[in-house]
Amino acid sequence: MSSKIAIEANDLVKNYVSFIRRGIFGRRRVVVEALKGVSFGVLKGEVFGLLGPNGAGKTTTVKILCTLLLPDSGTATILGYDVVKDASKVRRIIGVSLTVEKGFYWKLTGKENLKYFGMLYGLDGKFLEDRVNMLLELVGLRKLGVEDKLYEEYSLGMKARLSLARALLTDPPVIILDEPTLGLDPPSARCLREMLVKLAHEEGKTVLMTTHNMFEAEMVCDRVAIIDRGEIIVMGTVDELKKRVAGSVGIEMFVLTSARASLDSIALKIREGIGVPCSIVGENGGYRIKIVSPSDEVDEVTSRTLRILHDHKCSVRRIEVKEPTLEDVFIKLTGRTGF
Amino acid sequence: MGLISLLKSGIMLDIYFFKNNKSELLSMLLWPYLMLGLILGAGMLFGSTSAFKQNTGLNADPIIYFIASTIVAMAAISVMWEVGGNILFLRWIGALPYVLLAPHRISTTLILSYIPRYLFLSLIQLLEFAPIIILVENLSSGVLKILVLALAIVVGMLPLLGFSALFASILISIKEETHVLSWLNPLILLFSGALYPAYLLPYWTQVISWILPSTYTIELARLASIIGSPQLAPITFLIGVLLGMTIVYNSLAYILIDIGERKALGKGAI
Repeated sequence: MSSKIAIEANDLVKNYVSFIRRGIFGRRRVVVEALKGVSFGVLKGEVFGLLGPNGAGKTTTVKILCTLLLPDSGTATILGYDVVKDASKVRRIIGVSLTVEKGFYWKLTGKENLKYFGMLYGLDGKFLEDRVNMLLELVGLRKLGVEDKLYEEYSLGMKARLSLARALLTDPPVIILDEPTLGLDPPSARCLREMLVKLAHEEGKTVLMTTHNMFEAEMVCDRVAIIDRGEIIVMGTVDELKKRVAGSVGIEMFVLTSARASLDSIALKIREGIGVPCSIVGENGGYRIKIVSPSDEVDEVTSRTLRILHDHKCSVRRIEVKEPTLEDVFIKLTGRTGF
Repeated sequence: MGLISLLKSGIMLDIYFFKNNKSELLSMLLWPYLMLGLILGAGMLFGSTSAFKQNTGLNADPIIYFIASTIVAMAAISVMWEVGGNILFLRWIGALPYVLLAPHRISTTLILSYIPRYLFLSLIQLLEFAPIIILVENLSSGVLKILVLALAIVVGMLPLLGFSALFASILISIKEETHVLSWLNPLILLFSGALYPAYLLPYWTQVISWILPSTYTIELARLASIIGSPQLAPITFLIGVLLGMTIVYNSLAYILIDIGERKALGKGAI
């Protein structure tokens, strides 16, 4: 294994078994394939994004890497330590944030929570006090003047900052974050993203983060792996991935329709009739249709799409043509968005 | 160093809680009296304290007997809830993964971070009853009984820690949110003789009581309440039984909680 690699996952497979109740006594066994052979590597000192829609397998991958879930097969290492065989060593070199909205004692202040978890992780005395103070400063909770406020009074943004501070308590070389900006307001999310980039590029820490936010991945990540239905479908730098849609543009149409059912038919007609990848998601009371079109066919694709929409009695409120994004890469590769 | 900070973390957690929640401190101080009142009140429904003395053949002041039982019962409940039930609480507040990520075995974290808190809280509750014990008895006999009760609390805790950790091993591996301890605890107290002497209960419950560490802790407390000057031989015997159970239950917990953790990690229950 190259010494430049901080995190390595090889062919990770994980199935969840659950039971669905049928009647009073009956139950049916259901197997969900969460990971179907996930492999990737994260270089030291980079911000690596695991990008995918809900249920793609991001959290399952992260939990395996944090030693909180055993894979059915495959291996994963953090700085050369196997996450199954050397779990206790791995736990000493990683900092983890799994959810931002909970995970602390509600009746303790932010500072008290950090001190408690610091002691749990083996820190003590003046070193712990100094470390906690430094982290409160770093994540901006001191500046906000809320370090001595009870956790239950924290906003989601403050909770996210505290969660990042806990992940940094032991000054770990590897930081693993699951959806660190989920639900945050834009200023808090931007602040957190800046901190992550700083940690990686100025302090040399390796950051693995999951997100379903394409924009965030483009802003923060040095490299990205797109995961969908338990499989990595593409991996590379943001620019490399965008090259996959080179010569294409993204056409976005915001439409209003009363018949949700007709959207599937619209998507099918665009994909098969016009022959371009397309996705439709609900947004602000209407629907956003995203089409990845060859640059030289924008006019034709747009007019044919408008005709389809007109046939389905959809009212088009806005049309935008944009440079391709990671979302377009995802749409082109999967034919849908799901984000 | 790591283990010392783990011990300290438990104390600090309680100090922080009480500092931020004065009402919790008040309820902690009132709880022993409320529990004694409840046990005495419930007992009075079936007759006076002298009737209880007649029925059970107890050669001691029933008040002292119930105080001793209350102190030990509360200590037992506290161990069961805080060690066994802590898993559910941590899961509920979302902190379980972060506790598991501590560089210790989960059994070590659960037990070591709890021991100082247990001793601190149980001894405070014992001291709350000290004036009543000394009032009912005389000073020298009262102090002696308080010391035996303190011994029962300390030694009785050791096997209970392992016993409770066994429940933790079950709770950690199941995704079920139902708190088995909420119905199991009263039964354990009943079978252990906290509410009524175990030797007066049906034979099948006595068989269960033999394997419960709380039975011997309560017996130790009973000795403190019924014997004018507690004798060394029965106390030594009970301490021996409790220490033996300490080895058995803590060894079992050490193995089973590891199995429970691996099961949970396999199932994705964390």
